Order: sequence, then C-alpha cells, then structure tokens
Amino acid sequence: MSTVVAPLETGDLGTRPAPRYRFLRELVRKKIAMVAIVLITIFYLAGILAPWVSTSDPNYQRLTIEERLDTPSSEHWFGTDAAGRDLYSRVVYSARTTLIFTLVVILTGSLVLGLSLGLLAGYRGGYIDTAIMRVGEVLSGVPTLLLMLAISAAFRTRLNDVAFWLKDNTFLGDDARAVVPFLIIVGAALPFAWIGSARIVRSQVLAIREQEYILAAETIGASTTRLLIRHVFPGVLPIFLVGISASMAGIAGGEIALSYLGLGVDPSTPSFGTLLGNAGGVRTFQEYPHMLLVSGIPIILFFFSWNLLGDALVDIVEPRTYRR
Amino acid sequence: MSNRTLGLMMGAVALLIVAVAVVFVLVLSGGDGGDGDDTPARPASDSADRDDATDDRSTQEADDRDDGDRTTGGICGENRLVTFGDDPATVFDPIQIGDASTAEYTAEIFGGLVTLNLDLEVVPDIAERWEITDGGHVYTFFLRDDVVFHNGRRVTAEDVKYSLERAADPANFSPTVLDYLGDIVGVRDKFNGRADDISGVQVVDEYTLRIELTEPISYFLQQLTYTVAYVVDREQIEDDPNNWTRRPNGTGPFRVKTFRPLEEIVLIPNDRYHLGPPKVDEVVFSLSGGSLSTRFQNDEIHVALVPAVELAGVLSGESELSEFYRPVPQLSIFYLGFNVNEPPFDDPLVRQAFAHAINREAINEVLFFDAAVVADGILPPTLPGYAEAVTTYPYDPERAAELLAQSRYADDMPRIILTFSGGGGDPPDNLQAYQQQWREALGVEVEIEAIEWSAYLRELRRGTFQMYSAGWIADYPDPENFLGKLFSSESRLNHTGYENERVDALLNEAATLGDQEARFRLYHEAEQLIIDDAPIIPTFWTISHYLVRECVQNWVDPGTIVPKYRYIEIDTSGE
Amino acid sequence: MSQGLAGYVIRRLLWTVPVIIAISILVFLLLRLAPQDPIDSLLGQRYDEEIAERLRQKYGYDRPLHIQYLKYVQNLFQGDLGVSTKHGDFSVAEVIIPKIRVSAGMGIMAIVLVFGLGIPVGVYAALVRGSFLDPLIIGFWLLIDSIPVFVSAVVAPWLFALQLGWVDLTYEGVLHPNIILPVFVMSLPGVAGVARLMRASVIQVSNEEYVRTARAKGLRERTVVVSHVVRNALLPMITAIGLSLPGLFAGSLFVELLFGIPGIARESLQAVLGFDFDVVLGLVLFGSVLFVLANILIDIAYGFIDPRIRITAARGG
Repeated sequence: MSTVVAPLETGDLGTRPAPRYRFLRELVRKKIAMVAIVLITIFYLAGILAPWVSTSDPNYQRLTIEERLDTPSSEHWFGTDAAGRDLYSRVVYSARTTLIFTLVVILTGSLVLGLSLGLLAGYRGGYIDTAIMRVGEVLSGVPTLLLMLAISAAFRTRLNDVAFWLKDNTFLGDDARAVVPFLIIVGAALPFAWIGSARIVRSQVLAIREQEYILAAETIGASTTRLLIRHVFPGVLPIFLVGISASMAGIAGGEIALSYLGLGVDPSTPSFGTLLGNAGGVRTFQEYPHMLLVSGIPIILFFFSWNLLGDALVDIVEPRTYRR
Repeated sequence: MSNRTLGLMMGAVALLIVAVAVVFVLVLSGGDGGDGDDTPARPASDSADRDDATDDRSTQEADDRDDGDRTTGGICGENRLVTFGDDPATVFDPIQIGDASTAEYTAEIFGGLVTLNLDLEVVPDIAERWEITDGGHVYTFFLRDDVVFHNGRRVTAEDVKYSLERAADPANFSPTVLDYLGDIVGVRDKFNGRADDISGVQVVDEYTLRIELTEPISYFLQQLTYTVAYVVDREQIEDDPNNWTRRPNGTGPFRVKTFRPLEEIVLIPNDRYHLGPPKVDEVVFSLSGGSLSTRFQNDEIHVALVPAVELAGVLSGESELSEFYRPVPQLSIFYLGFNVNEPPFDDPLVRQAFAHAINREAINEVLFFDAAVVADGILPPTLPGYAEAVTTYPYDPERAAELLAQSRYADDMPRIILTFSGGGGDPPDNLQAYQQQWREALGVEVEIEAIEWSAYLRELRRGTFQMYSAGWIADYPDPENFLGKLFSSESRLNHTGYENERVDALLNEAATLGDQEARFRLYHEAEQLIIDDAPIIPTFWTISHYLVRECVQNWVDPGTIVPKYRYIEIDTSGE
Repeated sequence: MSQGLAGYVIRRLLWTVPVIIAISILVFLLLRLAPQDPIDSLLGQRYDEEIAERLRQKYGYDRPLHIQYLKYVQNLFQGDLGVSTKHGDFSVAEVIIPKIRVSAGMGIMAIVLVFGLGIPVGVYAALVRGSFLDPLIIGFWLLIDSIPVFVSAVVAPWLFALQLGWVDLTYEGVLHPNIILPVFVMSLPGVAGVARLMRASVIQVSNEEYVRTARAKGLRERTVVVSHVVRNALLPMITAIGLSLPGLFAGSLFVELLFGIPGIARESLQAVLGFDFDVVLGLVLFGSVLFVLANILIDIAYGFIDPRIRITAARGG
C-alpha cells in the first residue's frame, strides 16, 4: 500500500527551534512508541547477537526420537522441531535473516534509491518528475509477490554461479555463498522498495520550494546542499520513519513469503518463512502447537511493534495527516 | 464543504460501488458462459444437479454432525467416492501426458489394447488375447468385438491404428511417444516426418492388429499400458480438434461429468464398460480446498494424502487419525546422484565413502516416523523383478572414513555442492541430516543449494551438477524402467554420466530376453554392479501416506498408473 | 474545472501508455532471459532436444526476442493474450478469467467486510478519543493486522472447523458458506488500516469550523456526528476503496494456497514457476492497467467532489 501524506505545514520551518528535537522529544513522551521501540530493539539485538545468544547450532539435528518435537524445556527453551533442531536458536537466527534483509532493502531501496529519485523528481520537476512518479505508480500496481517470484526463479541459477565465482576469485570467500540468497531476494524486493519514500521526499521538496518564495531573502544564495541538510532532511526524517514503519511488514513479509514457498533463502539459512512452513498444517498445530507458536509469536510481535510505532509517529508528525 | 459537494461526494462513492458491481457482474456473467467454456458439452441440467447434490450433502452433513455420528451417513451415506487429485498439468489427451496426475484421470477415461491389474500384471483390455511370434518381433492382437466408446461407437483395429499414428504424428508433439512406442517399426520415421503412416502397425481384419518391433523387447506390453498407447475417437477429434479433450470420448470405465480446472473433476461410470462397470455412482476428485487431513478429520472427504510435513500430526500416538492411516509403497525411489566425471566423485571410493557415512535408519525413524523404507537396492520391493539379495551400503562411519582416506582426494577435497529442487527427491531436512553426517564421519563440508524446478531439470540434463538429490517414479512396472533408463550409457536420462560395459551388456541382453525369470536374474546382476560402482546412493523407497475412511472398500494405490476406481465400493450400511 | 480535469485525465492516460509498454518489455525480458523456458517445465524429465526444438518453433520461442515481442504486441492489439503452454494450449483468457472470477468474488466480500468493520470501528475510536478505549481498539486491530496469513490460515481452520465445527473446508464455490472462513482470514488484517484512516478523518473533520458552528448552534451531538462529521469524514474512503479495487482481482496468494481456492493468485504462482510466459505477462499487464485505471477513477471522483482539491496534491504524486 502506498502512503498518502500531505505536505508538512510550512510554518514549522525556520520559526521554531530545529524540528527534529521536537520530534524526538514527543516520541520519548509516547509510552506505546517506547514499548514498540524496545521490542524492535530486542528483536534486532537478538539478530545481531545471534551467534552469542543462541544456545546451539540452529541447523544441528538431534536425530533421536526423544529429542524431536520436544516441548519447551530448560534445555531447549522453545522446544525442538521434527528434526530435533533447537527452535530457540533457529528463531534467533531467523531474526538475523530478517534483520539483514530489511536493513539492506531499506538502506538501498528506501534510502538511497527512494531519496535520490524523490529529490530528482522534486527538484527537476517536469518530465523527469512525471516519469518517475508514473513508473512508481504503475510499479506499485503490478502484483509485487508475483514479480518477486519471477525474479527469484529466473536469476537463482545465474546468481549461484556468480557466488561461486566471487568465492573463488575475491576476498569474500565463503561469505559470498551466504550473501547470494540475499542478493536474489533483495534484488527481487528493490524495484518496489523505493516508491513510498520517493513520494514522501518529493512532496517534502515541493513544500520547501514553495517556501522559498515566502522566505525569499533567506533562501536566495543558499546552496542546494545546505538546503537539503538544513531543511529537507529534518523535515523528511519523521515522515520517512512513518513510511518505513508502514512498509516494514511488507518488506520483511516478502522474504518470509518467498522462503515459505521454498524460493527465498537456502535451507541452511534459518528464516521465519521456513520455520512457519515446517510448523506445518492444521494437524501438526493440533499435536505440536509449540512449533507454530514459538516461530509465529516473535514475528507477530515484530510486525505489531512496527505498526504501533508507525501509529505513534503519525500522531506526532502531523495530527491532521491521515494515513491508510 | 457545501451540501451540494456532499451530495456529489456520496454520488461519487455510489459511482465507485456501482462501477465495482458492474465489473463484477460482467465478470460473473462471463462466468456462466465461462463454466460452459470449461466443459462446453456439459448439459445445463448437470450444473443444476450438481448444485442440488451439493446442497443435499451439506444439509446431511450438518444433520450428521448434530447426531455426533461421523462414521454412518455423512460422507459414507452415499454411493459416491470423494477423493483428492492434482490439477491436471495438461489436457486429457493421452499422447500429451507426461505427469502422473493427468495420467491418473486419463487411465480411467481411456483404455488401450492391454492394461494393468491391481497386482501390476498385464491383462487384456481392448485386446482379448495376443500372440507373440517371430522371436518376439511380432505381436498379433485379437480385439474384443464388444468394446465401445462412451458414445456407443464400436472400437475396431482401425481405431487402434489411428490412435498410434496420431501419437507419432510430428504435428502433435507427443513428448512420450518415442519413450513408449519408439520400438515399433516405423514410429521413428513417422515422428521425424519421413513416413505418412507407421509401417509396423497393420490392420489384419476388423478385429485383428499386427504390430512389428525393431527389437524383440520383452517389456513391450508393459509399455503399451501407458497412456500414449490409448485408443481415441477419430470422429470426435476430427469434428472438434481444439476442444475434444474437455469431454473426451474414450473406452475407459469412467466418463467425464464435470471438469473445472483447479476446482474439481467428477467422473461417472461407463455402464457399458467391457471389463465390468464401476460400482460407485460418481468419483469426485477435489482439486481445491484446504488441508486434506483436516478435511478428512472433518468428514468432508473419503481419502486424504498426508504431506510429509503433517506426518507428525497424524502418526503421533494420540492422534485420532492414526486408525485410518495407510502407508502405501510407491514404485519410486529417492536417491543422491553423483556426477561421475567431475572431481571428487570421479573416484568410486569417495562415492562409497559418502554412501557409508549416512545413517538412513535414523532419518527414517525420526524424520519419517518409521513410515518410509530405507532403500536397500534400486528396484522397489513392490516392483515385479525385485531382488531381496541386492544390498546397498550400511551405515558405517569408520568404514566411510577409511574409504575416503584411501581415495585420491583424501587430502585435497574440492568444494562440494549438493543441488536440490522441490520437485522430487529427499526433503531438505533429510539433506541437512546427510550434510551433518558427512561432516561428522568424513570431515567433509557439503553445501546445499536449492534451485527452482525447471532450472534444475535443465542443469540436470546439461550435467552441471556435482551432486544432486533426485527421485524416480516408474512409468511402467518393469526393472528396465529403472535400470535401463537411469544407468544405460545410451539413455538420455542417465544424468550421472555413469558408464559400465558389463552393465550395458547385461541391460541390453535383458531387454530382449523372453524368459522372465532369466531376465530378472540379469537385472539383479546389473543392479548389484551399479550399486557397487555407486553412481547414485539410493536413499529411500517412497511411501505415500494416506488416510482412508473404513467405508471405502477395495481402495488400493498400486503405486503406478492403473485404472483402479472401478473396483471401489462404498459401504453405506454404516457398519 | 471540468476542462482542466479532462485535460488532466487525458495526460494521465497518455503517460500510462509508455509506462505500461516499458513494464511489458521489462517483464518480457525478465522471462525470456531466464536460463529456462516453458518447454523445460513442460517436458520435465522427458526433455528431448528434438521435441523441445519443435515445440519452441511451434510457440515461436526460437525467434529473435524483438520479433517475439512485436508479435506479442500485435496479437495483443487483436485482443489475443496468447496461449498457456502449461494448460495445454488453452488461451490465456480461458485460463485466467474463471480464476479472476473466484478471486474477485472473494475480494468483493473482503472489501465489504473490511470497510463495513473498519469505518464503524474508526468512528467509534475517534468518538472515545482520549479514553483508554481508543488506543485499545486501534491496538487490537493493529495486532490482528500483524498476524501473517501463514499463521492465521492454520489456526483459524483448527479453531473453527475442528474445534468448533462451525465450517467445512471443502471449496464449493464463492457463493457457498464454506468461503466465509478464507474471506475472514484475508480481510481481517485490513480492518486496522481503514479504522485508522477513518479515525484520523473523523478527528480532522471534528476540528473544522462548520462542525464547531453546528455544535455552537446547539444541535444534538448525534446529529452533529452523523450528519456533519461522519459524512464528511468518509471522503478519504474514496481513495481507500478506489485503491483497493485492483487488489480485488489479484487475490490473496496464501489464502488461496492454504485454503486450496482456485483463484488467480494460485494460478499466478503456478504460471511463474512453470515459466508460462504468456500467462505471467497477461497477469502483470492486467494488474497494471487496472491499477492505473483505478487511480484515474479516484482523481475523477475527487475532481467532481471538490475542484479545490488539487489533484496532484491529493494523490501525493
């Protein structure tokens, strides 16, 4: 879903102290937002620290009847799955997968691509503007998952070859193989990741350009860089965060969906998609509910936190701004 | 905003809703026609009947649920079988079929000269009897004179000849004709456009057909049971070349009542079927709907297939479904294939070490709930010609390490990648278990790579894989279909690059030997030789896991494509 | 105003054409440049170079790419979307229309459910703003929104079919009561979005001058809320409904997969995995055109309602 965001009130700029402090102050004041931030931090910390906080190799199978499908215990905090793997460690490593994937997509897609295309559209205007915005509009209309699937299916073999080449010929070594599954799904997600943020940035730039006439004296002679740093970024940041929090479920969900279908990361990389897929159908849920619960609840909380944060941010950024 | 604007706004909302509704109605009204498109020949009353039946059934089910009695009445209260099916990958044209799901329906709708019974023996169908002369080169088929198509037209030798020539017609692009009928004199010429008819198929008289083979292959009758040799109705095909497959006029025990892609296929009996008409009033293949085992538990379906991921939920001791569970051995095998021309698997010692290092028994016990069969050979136990004497590599990590130490890659192991796809073979959890066992027993790190199915097939053909996980399902029940297809150096399905002169000689000799026992002995010798060379590691003979209601009688899954629904009876007495 | 609007719509439509052409070329190339093609997946393990070549000739896959593309476009203009290699030469329209019908049927029900629940929830949340109920209600629906379909599509059948026995899971068509469960699973996550939008809109309208005037005139609170606030607050719903229209025809992949519904999303997945060129391309084009049309429709609607609303500003682009 795209986000409809009206331009910020122009009066905010220049007259009051730097808006970013006000934004941060209000954010701290919102209790729900803080709870959400704490939950997100825990999730991401678990991902970053996965090798240290996990209790076992996430792929290590304990092939004995006693140790498979164990319910949570002091030894296996989240129990074990059908192959006797420690589910707690798998969940932690899945958080790592989600972390890397969302980070890469947001940095490259939303931040770099979205920001530059949004700036370009806003500053240059005219045909460039129209072209970028129309392409974005139509791209946001094509069935995203369908195209992601097509991209993933089409390029997997090729990228594997690239990975082996990288492994043999560059310093990357074994890491190259680990990176490739990400490359595929990141590549599949990128064409859709920039649209929301480009829109936000563009409307912000437009608002500021209007302001140039009002505060003509101040802005005449100001360099573009200065304008960007002083006015565009602080104004964009909160709305940008709103956009990210709104699209986070979609971005992380994309990887989970692909992995669930067996088209995402390789099986040796734990992912919430494969975890939920292994938790299986209704029958398995009835007999072994812990498998679905321990992998489902963390991801629900993750999405929920981003949703709450997004909700709180909207209230702060612009009480009169509505979002869908 | 003025009142006028408000009104306009409400109008606009109404407009949008109307627009949606109009689009919807357009699409839906295309719908009734669209249903017709799916099955153009279906009379209108069918659809009404079906709806009534559905309503009756749901009411009845509701009542039954109130009674709290699920075994009598309910789904067992009517003489119709509700089972599941896969969406047909192609249309019901016997010569186009290469997949098991479409073949299953086609085998019920059509018939050929011969067919298989439930014990996988070749038995008469359209042909009453046959004579094999000229040292196995010539087959003379004597047709029954009471075989009719569903529309009542009598089947003659001309129809059989037409069907075989149609299969070989280059314009029809049959993917299977060379595999199954390529040994008939003239089929290759016709297929390559060098002849107008198949010279090896001659109509002797109205009910006698003579087929000549280039080689006296002993499994020709088995091949004739495959769909590509089924008899089709020339008149129907010529009348409606584009749409006849939607309501095919075959000679089989069932007719198509409804075919709605991705929804359901309903077959109704052909009461004039010459081998005895079916006993149920209807067979419904449900192609849609939620989890099969859940629907089974909810009394919505007679037969359910349990996917591996749900096995745990069915086989655990407490499950109320375990009493309905029926494991059925399939004519198929999972294996790990090696590229025997690439390091490190060009050294048989490495391959044998890998085979000794995996603990398939533990995987079976834990991951498969003991419901699979560890493959102690290549030919599955239910295949005619199975040899118990053949053995594979037992789990023996010490021996594995020894073998590896003797190999020429002992100190210099290249990178190893195991490729798999979701399309067949061991599930990923098994592969990870092997990976772990190789690491522990041999100290070798194997990387697992997943690729998408059609890319997998393409790379398999090109032989770019080092090691791959694969599966093989028998097309016809004969050892040749496993050993000849996968290991003969001439077969295009031999993806390992394996080549052994002795094996080739044995396979060639066995292919044309008339004496079944002597043939099987040759195959056993070849099988053991292949296993000793280890171009593949057989892992599991596959088992299909079914849930079957007890009111369904004579339900079997012979493990390959056999017309089987005409035997089924539903016990509606409620006992 | 209407002249400006007409010009605007025409400009939009003109812009749409090159963009859709670009997308079709992109998708076309993406499919054609992949190492495998529909023939691979069609023939599977029985692949034979000779038969494959003949089939490629039959479908024209052996020709240069630009010829293939031009041929496709030429057929497109004659209303021919091509044939499905996977479904034995059925035309693309024959393959996708029955499935779009199913998905659209469920989509209509889902939209009715989403807006039917979301609007009252949003209004209520706005009216109790300031009390603990407001964040509680919104939070509840946000939580529902956070449950992935893979989880709810397992838990819901377990609860409603097995434990409670309220529904069956066999698919019997979109007009059969069995469809209720999948429709609920696919629509409940959307309620939060509509409720939040409605709540924000109601709050915004409540602060408008004419509402304050109405209150000041001593009108009953109920009259104020119903006839002034809610009616005006419905305005942004036009965008929301309009934007959800194309989604109607897209279906929900995991609901269709896990409930085994023969809808368009499941077909799309199969088409992509089987490299069914024409079907994938047809689906993408269909989706894109619908989306663009829906956007234009929204703009027109806004233009009629209030010429003061700057079209570009309202759409954020």
